[in-house]
Amino acid sequence: MSQLDPTLDPALDLSLEAPRRIRRGFHVPGWLALLLSNTKSRLGLAMVGLVVVVAVIAPWISVADPNGFSLLAARQAPSWNHLFGTTDQGSDIFSQVVIGARRSLLLGFFAAALATSTAAVLGITAALLGGLVDDVVNVLINIFLVIPPIPLLVVMSGYVQDHGMTTMIVVLALVLWAFEARILRAQALSLKSRDFVDAARASGESTARIVFGELVPNMISRIAAAFVLVFYIALLVDAGLEFLGLADVSKTSWGVTLYWAQTNSTVLQGEWWPFFFPGAALAFTVLGLVLLLAGIDEFTNPRLRSEHKPHRSRLRMLFGGRLATREEGVS
Amino acid sequence: MRWFARRLVFYVFALWVALTINFLLPRMMPGSPIDGILQHLTPAQLAANPGIVKTYEALVGGGNNSIWQDYITYLSRIVHLDFGVSTSHYPAPVSQVIGQTLPYSIFLVGVAFFLSFLIGTGIGMFAAWRRGGAVDNILVPTFMALSAFPAFFTALLGLYFLGLKAGWFPIQHAYDNGLSPGFNWEFLSSAFRHAQLPILVILAAYTGGWMLNMRTVMINTIGEDYVTMAHAKGLSDRRVMTWYAGRNAILPPLNGFAALFASAVGGLVFIEYIFSYPGAGLTLQQAVLGNDYALAQALLVVLSVCVIVANLLMDVLNLILDPRLRTG
Amino acid sequence: MTILVEQPSGSRRKTGLLELRGLAVEYGFGPRPARAVDGVDLALQEGEVLGLAGESGCGKTTIANAVLQILRPPARIAAGSILFEGEDILGKSTDDLRRYRWRNVSMVLQSAMNALNPVMRVGDQFVDAMRAHEKINRKRALARAGELLELVGIDHRRVSSYPHQLSGGMRQRVVIAMALSLEPELIILDEPTTALDVVVQREILQQVEALKRDFGFAVLFITHDLSLLLEFADRIAIMYAGEIVETAPAARLAENPQHPYTQGLLRSFPPLSGPLTPLTGIPGSPPDLRDPPTGCRFHPRCPHCLPEQADLYRRQTTERPTLRVIEQGHEVACHLVAEGAE
Repeated sequence: MSQLDPTLDPALDLSLEAPRRIRRGFHVPGWLALLLSNTKSRLGLAMVGLVVVVAVIAPWISVADPNGFSLLAARQAPSWNHLFGTTDQGSDIFSQVVIGARRSLLLGFFAAALATSTAAVLGITAALLGGLVDDVVNVLINIFLVIPPIPLLVVMSGYVQDHGMTTMIVVLALVLWAFEARILRAQALSLKSRDFVDAARASGESTARIVFGELVPNMISRIAAAFVLVFYIALLVDAGLEFLGLADVSKTSWGVTLYWAQTNSTVLQGEWWPFFFPGAALAFTVLGLVLLLAGIDEFTNPRLRSEHKPHRSRLRMLFGGRLATREEGVS
Repeated sequence: MRWFARRLVFYVFALWVALTINFLLPRMMPGSPIDGILQHLTPAQLAANPGIVKTYEALVGGGNNSIWQDYITYLSRIVHLDFGVSTSHYPAPVSQVIGQTLPYSIFLVGVAFFLSFLIGTGIGMFAAWRRGGAVDNILVPTFMALSAFPAFFTALLGLYFLGLKAGWFPIQHAYDNGLSPGFNWEFLSSAFRHAQLPILVILAAYTGGWMLNMRTVMINTIGEDYVTMAHAKGLSDRRVMTWYAGRNAILPPLNGFAALFASAVGGLVFIEYIFSYPGAGLTLQQAVLGNDYALAQALLVVLSVCVIVANLLMDVLNLILDPRLRTG
Repeated sequence: MTILVEQPSGSRRKTGLLELRGLAVEYGFGPRPARAVDGVDLALQEGEVLGLAGESGCGKTTIANAVLQILRPPARIAAGSILFEGEDILGKSTDDLRRYRWRNVSMVLQSAMNALNPVMRVGDQFVDAMRAHEKINRKRALARAGELLELVGIDHRRVSSYPHQLSGGMRQRVVIAMALSLEPELIILDEPTTALDVVVQREILQQVEALKRDFGFAVLFITHDLSLLLEFADRIAIMYAGEIVETAPAARLAENPQHPYTQGLLRSFPPLSGPLTPLTGIPGSPPDLRDPPTGCRFHPRCPHCLPEQADLYRRQTTERPTLRVIEQGHEVACHLVAEGAE
């Protein structure tokens, strides 16, 4: 454990400096160094990175057509020929999983990007403007928290006839934006009272300029966390909808492989591989994103770091009072 | 009390918005769902129910009426719990289908969610109290990892390993084949056995969330002066942990109940689908696949109402636990 | 254990109620822990009001928490002993400690406004304290809580109020009443009035004085506000960077402060009477306790630490001064004073 300690000091220093630094111009090495300095986010980044690399090189490593049809090769357990076994139709599951990573990741990524930017813009603008706009957005957010999202998505995907990528991205974003809008709004509310926002307002800057020039850059770590959160929720939900058969099941993706496994009751026949590998791929990716999120949370809220590491508790003692914690933002 | 009144107003409002969204959804989507519905009924069935087309038109649109007329009809039908006839369970009315399936879901998610709350907050409280202790180092990461797993993957793994391979739990349906629902020991014990594995899966999926939330708040609460003071008063460790730190720390996680419960209701769809458990979630999936929009739409309304009612119960609990809300 | 041997025939002498010997408290572990309290000797007689003053972060509250043994990790006692009525409390078992708290020493916390559990009725918080120490039924405990509240000028019916229904000053009084509930020998007041306005502050302190006359408890009064201590304390100890730098009877300290730090503190608030002199603070800030200055810890901020006086300067920057008695009851740890006395 102790050999990890030297990395912690810079982590904390960076997080203290981060807002000022980023305001001058987004600089890549800064945030990457920050992510790499935390054990959890480093591991998470590595896991997600691996999945992305696999998705990119998928066409070169997939050994067969993922939708290949061969009754002779059907229902085979994992072997050297078929690393992850084959489906009822004789398709190679390994190829399905690596090729499927592409659609799953793309869908999750764009849905998360759309949902997070909606949440950020709506949440921050509402917090800044206050009054009626804030009330409306707040009620909207709360209503989305009361309507159960999965059933809503299930019903919506029943209504849409076309299950193309774009439609699904929009549908997912429409339902998922409220998740983080609440936290971003609360965070913006607490930032709003800070001097630099007052200064910007006093000097007559426009609302848009304050939102994008002052608030967004200072909330970037929180927005990044929101993005990661919605990313994995979108991944899960999308795979889930496919699994339920409420998507285009002719495409190749993790959820679709799971759907066919479920439809053909492979589990009940004792065939574990058709559900295990796509499920594990999804779980692996989600776990990577969860770790990444936990890492980001730790440097926004140093109190969450484990106490039994003596080095850290001392730092917390010295800096604890000065760092705003996440809870303060939420309450 | 003002606080509670405000919450009530919000819930009524939220219900109205949910109903309205539900009304607008099929009308905003390209294509006309009503054709999909009517496809599933034979001309004879249509002839036997002269009002049915009108009901569907009010529910999903597609008729010649103005949208306002539809809206009024839609609301009044919902108030009278008249959701039309289910095409996939023809000729059963939608309300009857829901009446048969919803209790299973309420039982499943009610029991599982309550347990996950108890276990999660309990572990979270203790883990924060003994930072770096055995509970904090073993149970916390375990539940975290479990909750990071996609719920349907956990369900499939549980079904395969615990149900199929180990044979510890029944793997399908809500009760043994051949039994019929009723208040007798045979049925209830069978229903209980069939619910075990789904409940375990929900526990695995949601306990981690409560736990982490509670732990975070508890860590901050332990630093409060009233906890230090309770220590100084010479109270036992246990009393300080539960009545001083824990009692206060549990309030914020309770407020996060809404989002977590709504997502648990969602997870139910997958779990019921995997275990062929005849609850509202499985029915919803089948209704949507079978273009039975009347049933699907009604289920969404009912599930939203369930979440609202659960939230209302939580608010009452909150009111009991936090005296500041009663006077504020 | 060695301490017990030092006690003459192990009997309880009337010398002191509380005695700290070479107390050191560290925060954190590893090669460079921060010593928040470093070698503090302090004695408190029965019925005495001892003031402990110093800037925030000098270790005052840490001493209070150490006396009650409610230090939380990563803080721990690294050395020394804490004798209460001659008995070292550091060797006590968990149960004995639990009994000792509040029964023997109670405490009014820094920002006592937040010292009450917001979700429990005031009365129940009294009951909790009483029933942790004696067999008493709830009803009688509540009645006694009511009497205690009346003592501090609060209607006894307030036992059924929740903390948020009381004003800041009332909450403060409630905590003081609670501190009295087991009639302890010592009450620690840790910045008891910083959150209150001056008028309420004065009222409460006068009330404490009156109660002290009736009950006869001793007080360890911790504050950064030296002017309060001059008024209410019998004796004052000044703390700097984890050490006691000067102790003296209150009146003497006000007239004849010896340590440059004490002098600086006294100059940083206006005198209650007499001609107005310009206020001067102490330049600089307290040192990092992980890496305190060598020699006298105050030397980087000391106006009398000048390189021109080479010999003195060398001692100030390399030798740690120890407390020396310069007059009956007046002790100072300063090279300047030691020089003069010798």
